[in-house]
Amino acid sequence: MRLWLLVLLLPGLALARDDDLWDDEWEDEEAGLPFAGFLEAGVGFRLQDDPLIDKDLTLGDLRARLEAEWTPGRSTVSLKADAWYDDIETGIEAEVRDLSVAFRAGDNVDVKIGRQVQTWGTGDLVFLNDLFPKDFVSFFSGRDDEYLKAPGNSIRLSRFGSAFNFDLVWSPVFDPDIYLDGNRFSFFSPVAGGNVAPSPPLSAVEPDEGIGNGEIALRVFRNIEGNEYAAYAYYGYFKQPTALTASFEPTFAPLAAFGASLRRPMGSGLFNAEVVYYSSRDDTDGTDPLLPNDQFRALAGYEWEALPNFTVGLQYYLEATLDYDELEANSPNPSFEPDQYRHLLTNRLTYRAARDRHTFSLFTFYSPSDSDYYLRPAYTYRHSDQWSLTAGGNLFGGDEPQTFFSQLSDATNIYLRVRFNY
Amino acid sequence: MKRAFILAASLLLMANAIASDMTDADAIVERSNLASYYAGADGRSEVRMLIADAQGRKQRRQFTVLRRDVEEGGGQQFLVVFSQPSDVRNTVFLVHKHLDRDDDRWLYLPGLDLVKRISAGDKRTSFVGAHYFYEDVSGRRPSEDSHELVETTDEYYVLKHVPLDPSSVEFASYTTWIDRNTFLPMKIEYVNDAGKLYRSVEVLQVEDIDGHSTVTRSRVSDHIGGGQTDMQFRFIAYDLGLPDDVFTERSLRSPPRTWLERSSD
Repeated sequence: MRLWLLVLLLPGLALARDDDLWDDEWEDEEAGLPFAGFLEAGVGFRLQDDPLIDKDLTLGDLRARLEAEWTPGRSTVSLKADAWYDDIETGIEAEVRDLSVAFRAGDNVDVKIGRQVQTWGTGDLVFLNDLFPKDFVSFFSGRDDEYLKAPGNSIRLSRFGSAFNFDLVWSPVFDPDIYLDGNRFSFFSPVAGGNVAPSPPLSAVEPDEGIGNGEIALRVFRNIEGNEYAAYAYYGYFKQPTALTASFEPTFAPLAAFGASLRRPMGSGLFNAEVVYYSSRDDTDGTDPLLPNDQFRALAGYEWEALPNFTVGLQYYLEATLDYDELEANSPNPSFEPDQYRHLLTNRLTYRAARDRHTFSLFTFYSPSDSDYYLRPAYTYRHSDQWSLTAGGNLFGGDEPQTFFSQLSDATNIYLRVRFNY
Repeated sequence: MKRAFILAASLLLMANAIASDMTDADAIVERSNLASYYAGADGRSEVRMLIADAQGRKQRRQFTVLRRDVEEGGGQQFLVVFSQPSDVRNTVFLVHKHLDRDDDRWLYLPGLDLVKRISAGDKRTSFVGAHYFYEDVSGRRPSEDSHELVETTDEYYVLKHVPLDPSSVEFASYTTWIDRNTFLPMKIEYVNDAGKLYRSVEVLQVEDIDGHSTVTRSRVSDHIGGGQTDMQFRFIAYDLGLPDDVFTERSLRSPPRTWLERSSD
């Protein structure tokens, strides 16, 4: 709640700062800002009705961000916190996205402890080995891309060597994705055979908070002559509540994952490839209808500047469900099971004009196997170092009700956000 | 006595070298490249940019650059850490410059904890909203253009440069005015296919820092769209002994404060 006070204080602080320091002499103090952040208003609404949800708005945020950094000794303490009023879900909210201490432990070891956002892997909005928590509800409702990554509490240990580097991340308590819960958007339920928006919203059963029920993620990586190789391992849980408990409540199945990736220049562009094997630890033979099966996932992508200031990115992604015969044989509802092979194509188009003052982008997901799509057009206007505006849409559709993007057809929305950076 | 003689002799030789005109365009470009980008074995500078558009609206950027030469005149590494404005604060740009292939470039976006790689073709586009290009940060390889000495004045070598692969750049040619003493290019003018001057870079101030003539103020102007970016360099130091591992992915998430902070001397 104390953060909320900042909302009232920030505009005053922002005005107090001289924004044209060019005529000043550089002061002898260090160049960093003691604190920074933004205020943002965002509104978005449905382009059609969702018969299950009695709200036209899909985004209604008034948000304040505070970022600060301290450097006691040789360590860095960083804070990144949001307080906002959410007109749709919960009223006043606060979230700490980063509250961590980072330090160098010896010449080759970095340690970061605390709440933090983490990302790795090579995919563009497609994640295979990145099993850090994601917030799909924010993503689908038109919040800034930054909010796709949800924070988690963890200890990150990084070691840098001449042969290999590695990152080891331990999250003592499992952090699931922010999943579709029926509050803002309805979702498909195989039990109901259609979309549902439960009230109270879906709350999946999370693993007990005991030692050993957390998550461990490992990345070993190396850059050889511009070729970036990485191998990954993960031990924890599926991030989405795709399993059911014995009493048929949604929950997170135990998961182990092993993967690898490559990113390298090719021609005038960049090529990336990534694979991962998901082992559903409690259902390795695929016979338990309550648990997801093992999967093999693969991604290949290429990105290049097709014309000056116009960048094109293409990706092909495959999700192969293993032990498929066992899945079908044991499923109470085979027609709602995912296809054995789910194919997904993505395309990112970005055009920048007037030195990034205007940015037009379109990200397209299209699945030929699911016959569904998700379009993310966006336009960002950066008026000044302080003011920017983003307008965009999240457009979903598909042929069958149970596929991932098709279930969000009634969530199709457009949004507008105005941000003041201080 | 002997030492004094050697000193006098070498001064004489240097004076000779300065007085005599260089006539080989490639050799002038080579020296100019070394003077512009390879002063000392490594270096540090704080930079601020004032970006003004045709309507006079202004934006600022402030960052610290670390540079290390892998080889004099050859490969180089750059690390650029932003401090202002707030929406690019803690963004880090890393370049591994190569002579035999395209440069490797990464941009770290702290909000997403994302290490984004930038494709090789995407180099003559705006660097963080400025009139400077990504390529201007680390320099264009001399081998990408052919060079011709068009004039030698009292002050400058005037050279014309034509790209070997015209499809990879937006200019048809550019002309540089290289100072005959410092070998710094004091003015660069870019001409498009229509033969029109559309972009220029001027050096506004040069200072001697640790014996290296160093550009401390420069300006890029857009003669078609209007607007300009002024760049100012301060707190410059050379030969810090920057180690190789400063220029790795480690520094994106965990910028090397020991080297980024201003030294006490």
